Amino acid sequence: MAAGLSQGELAAAMSVSRQTINSIEKGRYTPSLPLALALARYFETTVEEMFDGDSHV
Amino acid sequence: METAMYRSKWFLPGVTLVLFAGAFAALWIGGDPIGALWVVGVIVGWGLLVALIGRRSETLRGLSAGGRDERFRLIDMRATAFAGTVLILTLIVLWMIETARGHESNPYGSLCALAGISYAAAVVFMRFRG
Repeated sequence: MAAGLSQGELAAAMSVSRQTINSIEKGRYTPSLPLALALARYFETTVEEMFDGDSHV
Repeated sequence: METAMYRSKWFLPGVTLVLFAGAFAALWIGGDPIGALWVVGVIVGWGLLVALIGRRSETLRGLSAGGRDERFRLIDMRATAFAGTVLILTLIVLWMIETARGHESNPYGSLCALAGISYAAAVVFMRFRG
């Protein structure tokens, strides 16, 4: 998680639950393409950079 | 993937209410008013539980369809598939038991056929729907 941003804040920004953000962060849930794109846009990066390999949100 | 109908937050509560109303009416008409009142108690209790602690529990929110996001919709789909599998396997086993006991005119065979036909129809429909 980016510094200074809580899971709850990010969840609210993405219109998902905090538990969903937590699951993505822990690698237990793979987000849909629209959510992955929204997350990448939010953090001003690419989907590849966010989700490639072991690097999660 | 999902239809506008399922996107409505009123879909699941509406279906639940209709089912409970049906159960209430069936029990009342069948001469079991105590059972009918139990049905009312269960739905009121569930409503209270969701209203009181639903905000703190993702599971309760998801079960009441009040706060489902894409992850919980996937959980719901998998849970529904699991419940359906359990039900179909139970029907098959019951059909085998009843048939082995010589009761060939049991309802389980028809229910197994209904499950199989529903599955095939759903596969065909979803295949063409993309």
